[in-house]
Amino acid sequence: MMTRIFKRMFNAKGQRIKGTRKRLRLFLIVLLCSFVPLTLCVEKTQSSAAWQSQFSIRWTSDPANSSKVAIEVSGLSDATIKRLQQANWKPPQWQRLLSVYAGQGNDPNLPPMLGAYRVQSGALRFEPQFPLEPGVAYRAVFRPDQLPGASGSKAAPITADFQLPPRNATPTTVVSHIYPSASLLPENLLKFYVHFSAPMSRGRIYNYIHLRDEAGKEVELPFLEIDEELWDPAMTRLTLIIDPGRIKRGVLPLEDIGPALEAGKSYTLVIARECRDGAGNPLKEDFQKAFQVRPPDREPLDHTRWQIQPPKAGARDALAVTFTKPMDHALAQRVISVTTESGGVIEGKVELEDQERRWVFVPDSPWRRGQYKLVIQTTIEDLAGNNIGKPFEVDLFEGVQRRLASPTVKLSFEIL
Amino acid sequence: MKRFALYLALTLFAIGLLAQGAFARWTSEMKEGKAEFKSMGPLTFGPDGILFVADTKAAAIVAIATGDTKRATGANLLKVEGINQKIAALLGTTADQILIEDLAINPISQNAYLAVSRGRGPDAVPVLVRVKADSQMEVVSLDKVKFSRAELPDAPADAMAGQGNRQSNPRRESITDIGFLNGRLFVAGLANEEFASTLRAVPFPFKTVANGTSVEIYHGAHGQFETRAPVRTFATFKIGKEDHLLAAYTCTPLVQFPVSELTPGAKIKGKTIAELGNRNRPLDMIVYQKDGKTYLLMANSSRGVMKISTEQIDKAESITARVADKQGLPYETIASWTGVDHLDRLDSKHVVVLRRAEGGSLNLESLPLP
Repeated sequence: MMTRIFKRMFNAKGQRIKGTRKRLRLFLIVLLCSFVPLTLCVEKTQSSAAWQSQFSIRWTSDPANSSKVAIEVSGLSDATIKRLQQANWKPPQWQRLLSVYAGQGNDPNLPPMLGAYRVQSGALRFEPQFPLEPGVAYRAVFRPDQLPGASGSKAAPITADFQLPPRNATPTTVVSHIYPSASLLPENLLKFYVHFSAPMSRGRIYNYIHLRDEAGKEVELPFLEIDEELWDPAMTRLTLIIDPGRIKRGVLPLEDIGPALEAGKSYTLVIARECRDGAGNPLKEDFQKAFQVRPPDREPLDHTRWQIQPPKAGARDALAVTFTKPMDHALAQRVISVTTESGGVIEGKVELEDQERRWVFVPDSPWRRGQYKLVIQTTIEDLAGNNIGKPFEVDLFEGVQRRLASPTVKLSFEIL
Repeated sequence: MKRFALYLALTLFAIGLLAQGAFARWTSEMKEGKAEFKSMGPLTFGPDGILFVADTKAAAIVAIATGDTKRATGANLLKVEGINQKIAALLGTTADQILIEDLAINPISQNAYLAVSRGRGPDAVPVLVRVKADSQMEVVSLDKVKFSRAELPDAPADAMAGQGNRQSNPRRESITDIGFLNGRLFVAGLANEEFASTLRAVPFPFKTVANGTSVEIYHGAHGQFETRAPVRTFATFKIGKEDHLLAAYTCTPLVQFPVSELTPGAKIKGKTIAELGNRNRPLDMIVYQKDGKTYLLMANSSRGVMKISTEQIDKAESITARVADKQGLPYETIASWTGVDHLDRLDSKHVVVLRRAEGGSLNLESLPLP
């Protein structure tokens, strides 16, 4: 367009053609107009580049703890630092200036991470309230146009990404044991304990546990599903309680969908490898426990029929107690203790053997001659939940106070 | 006129003193400092913005004076879509590492409180999240709060006789629900070893006695057999003039206990007043009034929320015989309310629910009471 105007203003010799004053004015206006936006554009680019080059974001790790990371923005002028120190901002204002997003902040509806803002050593610093997670992508976004005194600035945000190395994804955790150990279990079995070789994660464990009958058909809802899941504090042992309504007379579910286990039949308890350990990895392999079911056991425990095999004095040989039937693994380990005649507690280690039929105790110090007592809390259970002197199904209404101490029974033995 | 103004000023002063006295009554045993948690499970509000938080891992209940006592103005219908994703973003992790354990609405401010676990493993960090009336979320700082703590007896005792060399005691008692009524906090729990479910009443303010916290423990029995089945959720409820606990067991019978009978040494027998069908786990329950009638609203695992009429509750016969499926109090199923895990009453007309949506997302929604 400018070339056309120019050609109409001058002849071939370059002399100005008469009556072209207006055209000259138009040429100058067009020339000017075409420069203005270009100049503005250059200004903007230069300005942004200047800001961009001025600031830098740095992710710094705590040498003692690599997941404890802070974000530092440097390149702030002394005046800006002073203004930030005096700003007395609330968290939303700080977040508008500098935010850190988990998952790279691609979703604009998600809020930034919580943390503390500080202005120190000539830099703006953000310390996340929670440690960063391995394998999760984080993005820090610094918006210079939100700096005090930068109102109207069109400076583009500056971003910096960070990611801790992901956890080792090789599955290593296995089911190390399932109690009861026996492969013939009573129809009114109450619990399984599933032991894992490493801590597990919770939240959806029942999805990965299946009880199958001999045809491979899934037994429907056999376990009490407690939201919190019944883990031990280390999260290496899961307690599965068979829904008491499926093992007892008279309570509703039994009427409609039948007992979970039936005598004479075979079942398999499957822990699928898809359940996640504490590191988020699946198990190394499925675990299966096959067992057969015998008629229900409704006999209360009779501790007087237990056989005690006392060791000899002067050594740390094992004291063995043989039960009349297999016991609940966790309780037999915890609720039986050994004392002297006067009640002094003997410290030692407990093991269960012979499919939880035998309790074996090795003292920390050699045995001395004398009278001893085996002290048993009556809350001990067999595989069907029968207690000492009380079968599982007795109609008891005990509203009485129960404090720390639970009733105990004692068996005496002598070490010679 | 001057005299009237003087009377008014004196009256307001007296009311202020009384209110302060009432608040002091609940907080007198509290100390100020950092409230430590190993885990956060069931939540419930007591008087004056006091939030009770069950810490299962520590076998304790902590009462926190939230100070959140500014009365709500108007109806603030809380709504947060994808709340698990938003909480995960706030806490700097991914949504699959967030577990929302319980929801409680502060009846004064109508702010929602969520017990959240950041992480699923043994190192998970408990976090208390507040959703304010404008549906904005924040983490409640527990670094400097007034609180008191009740340790539950029968807590894991590492110093078991003769077992001193064991590294840690694997026994733990899960707390399935808590509820506050007339100065007592009721706590339902289940152990992970001996099969024993308990219902405890802890007098509040918590008092420490020589041998630990003063706690009364009851074993509830229902129906013809003592099942020892755990109480999954319960609500407090007035039948006539008498307070009752209405407990939903894991196999969904609804059982009522008169609170007055829950005294130490008493033999209590619950009355099964409804069987709500099988293949169904109760999850959460509230009591509400509508059009002069009282209803129960129960979230459960296998069907929409159940609205249970209590009109005949005082005349309900105890169910002692075997029943085929459902019996007792009539109920209707609100089929459209699917995926509800937790619920609590927002005001006289609304309930706040936490419900599962497609793709693993969780939504916090306010719905009109049905």
